[in-house]
Amino acid sequence: MLAYVKQKIKKSDKIGYLMSLPYLVSFALFVAFPLGFSFILIFHKWNVITPMRWVGLKNFYRLFHDVEFFRAIYNTVVFLIIHIPLQIVFALVIAVLLNQKIKLRGFFRAVFFMPVIVSGVVITILWQQLYAYETGVLNLILTQLGLPKIPWINDPSWAMPSIAIMATWKNVGLYIVLFLVGLQNIPKYLYESAELDGATAWQKFWYITVPSLNSTMVLVVILSTIGGFSLFIEPFVMTGGGPMNSTLSAMLYIYNQAFYFGHMGYAATLGFFFAFIIFIVVLIQKRVVERK
Amino acid sequence: MKRFYLYLVLTVAGITFIYPFLWMIAASLKPEIEIGSLGLWSKNFSLESYRLVVQKIPIWRALFNSLFVSSCVTVSVIFFGSIVGYALSRLNFWGRNLILGVILFTMVIPFQITLIPMYILMVKFSWVDTYLSLIVPGMITAFSILLFRQFFLDIPQDLIDAARIDGCNDLTILFRIIWPISKPVIITVGIITFMTSWNDVLWPLIVIRNEKLMTMPQLVTIFAVGGQAEAQLGAMLAAATLLAIPIILVYAFFQRYFIESMATSGLKG
Amino acid sequence: MKFKIFLILPIIAWLLLTACSKGQQGKAEAKPRRGLTYWCASNPQEYKLAKELVKAWNQRHPEIPVKLQTLPASQSSEEVLLAAIAGKTTPDICSNMWPGAMDEFIAAGGLLRLDTFPDFRSYVTERVMEDQLKTFQAKDGGYYQLPWKTNPIMVFYNKKIFRKAGVQPPLVTYSQFLSAAQKIVQDFDGDGQIDHWMLYRDIKPIWWQRLFDYYPFYICASGGRTLFEADSIVFNNQASVKVFRFFQTMYRRGYMPVTQFQGDQFLAERLATQISGPWLVAHIQKFAPADFEYGIMPIPKPDDYQGAVYTYGDPKNISIFNNTKHPRAAWQFAKWLISRHADQRLLEICDQIPMRKNLLSDSSFIAYFKAKPQMKMFALQAPFTRGVDGVADLKEIFNIISQEYEASVIYGRRPPEEAIERAAKRVKVIREWNR
Repeated sequence: MLAYVKQKIKKSDKIGYLMSLPYLVSFALFVAFPLGFSFILIFHKWNVITPMRWVGLKNFYRLFHDVEFFRAIYNTVVFLIIHIPLQIVFALVIAVLLNQKIKLRGFFRAVFFMPVIVSGVVITILWQQLYAYETGVLNLILTQLGLPKIPWINDPSWAMPSIAIMATWKNVGLYIVLFLVGLQNIPKYLYESAELDGATAWQKFWYITVPSLNSTMVLVVILSTIGGFSLFIEPFVMTGGGPMNSTLSAMLYIYNQAFYFGHMGYAATLGFFFAFIIFIVVLIQKRVVERK
Repeated sequence: MKRFYLYLVLTVAGITFIYPFLWMIAASLKPEIEIGSLGLWSKNFSLESYRLVVQKIPIWRALFNSLFVSSCVTVSVIFFGSIVGYALSRLNFWGRNLILGVILFTMVIPFQITLIPMYILMVKFSWVDTYLSLIVPGMITAFSILLFRQFFLDIPQDLIDAARIDGCNDLTILFRIIWPISKPVIITVGIITFMTSWNDVLWPLIVIRNEKLMTMPQLVTIFAVGGQAEAQLGAMLAAATLLAIPIILVYAFFQRYFIESMATSGLKG
Repeated sequence: MKFKIFLILPIIAWLLLTACSKGQQGKAEAKPRRGLTYWCASNPQEYKLAKELVKAWNQRHPEIPVKLQTLPASQSSEEVLLAAIAGKTTPDICSNMWPGAMDEFIAAGGLLRLDTFPDFRSYVTERVMEDQLKTFQAKDGGYYQLPWKTNPIMVFYNKKIFRKAGVQPPLVTYSQFLSAAQKIVQDFDGDGQIDHWMLYRDIKPIWWQRLFDYYPFYICASGGRTLFEADSIVFNNQASVKVFRFFQTMYRRGYMPVTQFQGDQFLAERLATQISGPWLVAHIQKFAPADFEYGIMPIPKPDDYQGAVYTYGDPKNISIFNNTKHPRAAWQFAKWLISRHADQRLLEICDQIPMRKNLLSDSSFIAYFKAKPQMKMFALQAPFTRGVDGVADLKEIFNIISQEYEASVIYGRRPPEEAIERAAKRVKVIREWNR
């Protein structure tokens, strides 16, 4: 076996190893080590400053009894349930509209894409003002239309949907572009033959366009899910996780445990567990959406 | 008629996307009392809010930090990413596919799991509160290697063989022959890396506490959350505007590249 | 040849990086070979005071010069100090010690026990009342902090709004406060909008917000108790319930808005009262409109409460670190920082209240209080202040109380009794976990 490997290596372009070295170093330092270390951390209590203490499975015990942990998962689910459909519907509608023969397509595309490139911090500070109860632009518009004000981010049942709407506004541009790419890849003859069969516009959309965009849908769902579990700066700036923990996100909770309360071991356990959940959820989504 | 509705819908949608930005810029120029209005115009435009921001936080320093960090990261990612991408696409050596497998594997690891150990690593290296903690962990990305590799695979072998006959070694082949014909992928990697680095705020929040070393998004976040704005709305919006402007300016000139880069990275990632 | 370039490039990049980042850090670590290092808070007033006191000391003690450095402004003092203890880069003395973090510092083994100095007790009791001093005692019975200054939390009120509504200050009890609120929270100009609120508190559930509502009110209602006694929970009592019920009523009746205000609404004269410390006096002088009129009164107390009105004092103390090479000199310098002269300058420069008996009758301070009569209220209150408990995980404990406060008080989801009981239970569980 060893001889075989030696033989192989002898025949190899040896500079290949050297050229791969930077990656291997970075992998060892910033992926392999943290992964391994997180495995050690989850069995310890540590605030970085005083010595580490072995606590066995206590971190896991705590996790399964931690109402805030479950709240964070619940919040993420709420976020995703609102965010994903909203994202898909809006992106799809706009993409289909942009896919017509229209003037200024590039301009519109650029406009919808703008929030994608701007920092989440800016978007959040901006929307915090739009959402403000007393003086916010959105409530101002509502009152001028004779509608009651909405406590966008001050009410436990509104806060997470509000953040989901904001996140949709921020990200939808990317998905419009992805859907546009998908739309342009649909062969024309499919539509032409459907027209010959007398299909309506709606039928064409539902039976040709939507199925052809399946892989893009998978992508949107998966990227949004990962985004949902990584949600941090929006609640951090806008609500601090409130009201009543309704916007406490997974990442915000890890951050608080680690850097507010100094529980590195527990935070690592949380991270470990959330990563595990993301993995499972994405796998399931892939299965489900692909089958459809 | 149908056309009309089409444009109407698009215009309304367009306004919902662009109006908030215009409102923000206008509000940052208005005096405090007028901010709560819908309109974009005011007779009393002034730079007062900006003066406050500049006075209260080292925003120019933060701009420099962000530019410096993002540039270092971007240059390094292009440099190392193309080297590794070259090795993995154009060289034959035992273990190549293993490395490729490892790279693909790292792409599916959620960052939540490595975040805390990474912070501890920075503490142990004494990199907390230095540029190193912002730059070094981002110097190579799996994603850039894959993009480069993908692109380099399609380069005809003849080109490389010809160069080798001329006596070029692998590095000169990469930088002299391959780089000049790889502009699209270099631009894509550059834009994505720069944007990700520029907009990142969680990692700086964790490893940088010294105000002088903070990146711009981090400083603005702390300004908005930490009460330094003393609840001055105009100042908060001015800080946000300052943070948005550089990237919007770049975007205005290269928006086609931005959109195409993000689309390819989305599709391939 | 090609290999060399390969190795050299990253190394050059590395060196460049290290070079440009090294310039930024490490100022605080340079220790003078002889003498003492002293860290003070970074705000301009306290820095000015420290500079002056250090200069005076250095003139008189050239053999042990003191080097002054500020704590970094951007992060919490506790974090900096903990890191310094771990890295053995502590100063000799620090004057920004928050009692809530003492437990961690002591556990990390960083502090010098001050009552080992023979004149500790006599020097300190001359200055501070016995019962107040006791609140700074550590679990092991020792003293690791020298009581320095306090910022009593009190109620500021807008005189014009009070007059307009026909409310006569001071508002001593909860029911007086509530009935005043009823008169104040009205639509006076008839535009369909409430003109001003009685009080506003940030509704974000951030733990330290409770230091400005629940906690001072609790200290008052309980007659000067804190959350813990002998390291066990005592806050699950009637006093807490009364405070929760009071604030719950304030929110339920709409006297306090459930919203996030932007801008300083007290200075904008949209709030009748504001709970704050002495620093607000200077803030008002700097930023308030010229015709702004305000008064200061103690925290209101429950209707059935008899006795002195206590409040939270946000104390900051002085500690000596145990890796100092000159403990005696450090102790002498610490005493200088709390001397009568230093206290006078603390008042004059920082407008903060030294923890010292008889402030108003002491001849050193008469001129100051004559010039700033508003500060008298704080001086009177200062002996009746309490700090926070020096127990582990205090932030987390306040965080739990904050969450229960939010649920019960702001959103009225559960009765005060239940919220307090839940808080106590959750605190117990957390402490059990963290042990």
